[in-house]
Amino acid sequence: MDKLGQEWVSAAVDGETDAQTMAELSADTHSHDKWHNYHMIGDAMRGELPQNIVLDLSASIAAAIELEPAIVAPKHHASNVAAPVTPQIAANAQQSRVVPLFKQFGQYAIAATVAMFAIVGVQNYNQSADDAASPSPVLITRPLIGSASPVSLQTGPVQQSQGYTNDQVNEQRRRINTYIQDHMLQQRLNTGAVVEDNTEVIPVPVNQ
Amino acid sequence: MRLILLALLALVFPATAQEDMPAKAWLEKMSQALREKEFKASIIQLQADHIRPLVYLHGKVNNQEVAFLEYLNGPPKNAVRVGNRVTFIEHDEPAYSIVSNHIQGVWPAAFSANMADLEVGYQFVLGGRTRIAGRPGQMIRLLPNDEFRYGFQIWLDMETYLPLRYDMLTQDKQLLEQIMVIELIEFSEPPAILQEAYKQEWPAVIDQAERQDGQNWQFAWLPAGFTVVVRDHHRLIGSHEAVEYIALTDGLANISVYVARAGASPLPEELITRNGLSLVSEKVGNAEVVAVGKVPTQTLTRIAKSLTLE
Repeated sequence: MDKLGQEWVSAAVDGETDAQTMAELSADTHSHDKWHNYHMIGDAMRGELPQNIVLDLSASIAAAIELEPAIVAPKHHASNVAAPVTPQIAANAQQSRVVPLFKQFGQYAIAATVAMFAIVGVQNYNQSADDAASPSPVLITRPLIGSASPVSLQTGPVQQSQGYTNDQVNEQRRRINTYIQDHMLQQRLNTGAVVEDNTEVIPVPVNQ
Repeated sequence: MRLILLALLALVFPATAQEDMPAKAWLEKMSQALREKEFKASIIQLQADHIRPLVYLHGKVNNQEVAFLEYLNGPPKNAVRVGNRVTFIEHDEPAYSIVSNHIQGVWPAAFSANMADLEVGYQFVLGGRTRIAGRPGQMIRLLPNDEFRYGFQIWLDMETYLPLRYDMLTQDKQLLEQIMVIELIEFSEPPAILQEAYKQEWPAVIDQAERQDGQNWQFAWLPAGFTVVVRDHHRLIGSHEAVEYIALTDGLANISVYVARAGASPLPEELITRNGLSLVSEKVGNAEVVAVGKVPTQTLTRIAKSLTLE
């Protein structure tokens, strides 16, 4: 972002721009974190910040974003911010296994947000897939592929599920993710319809 | 003396009025407060092992509701609502707008709508009081009327009636999701940022031409209170797979039902993620019915099995 752009953002925060500049600005996603920072600075100058606040947080967010421009999935630990870059590369490598799948969907403007949920959810599930005796009703674990089989001496279905190749497992995971993502996306799109008359369907595009 | 007594009565009366207020009245006050108050709430959202901090501002400018939601961690992600239009501003995509009078992602849409709609599926029960975000809060339980949906607990600020905390619970009282206010500030006039948002020109609502009507799928059975809100056919994100789509809701729980050609690799019959989102799949001939939603898997299975084409 150039100097001029920064001035825009600053002016926008102070409410000194016209509508057209503002529209351009709102389309320029690079400026948004700047915008946030200027607000923070503005608040600080007017003495409207609570004590001990978020200034640090916002600085560390900026740092985190700078360190990692390709961030796609949410970080599990905020402590990474100050850490050297190497562990993050390792973390990225782990994520990159899943992330490219979600880069294909150019037609949805919305998906990135939604995707984060889905990946994390299903991965969590998968990690504990063998923990079949877990008493937790929140994380009910079933074989990820094939049919659900009761935990018993009967080993038939389990062997059958081992017959699936890695590709098939990945394909299945991908399909689960697409459904979950689409569901999340629909929640966003449907809210307009929910509050209106039930018979009326609000038409919203799903493809471009 | 009589005057003093009257004055005392006048002082005591509002307190007793709150004392006697039934749960539904509390919820109605909440719905009204969410639509009419000017406030800023700093919120954390807990889902499985994720904690996400966010800020929500709401006010009225020129008699139009204006709201702003910002996620504070990670890449910038905001949503702005002016009247019936919600614009999403995200780090990796151009901003876009949709028609909606609710920003999805904080409180459920039903909280600011008509509470009577929820009565079919839930019972409102007054709970205890506790302190949240430094404010006294009154708890209201939304107990599910049957085993087909999850329950909720809401804590309301006793002064403003704004929600302070919201829990989603399984039948065994396991926490699935929690939204908690950590700081609530009420304003007497809309905050500057909302006035700015109102003045701004936001991208036009995305083209509405392409949501085509779906087939006339019918459900032989639905849990009480669930109705169809949307049906269409579209392509899934990423896979571009064509699906018939039906959205169901009882106000709080949202279910998506998809009908598609069965894929090469079968989906699991059921799956539950840790934030309570369930997915079930049901094979019918060479088609596949997939149901997704934050309800028990048994509900989804039964709904998927009851789908028929007229």
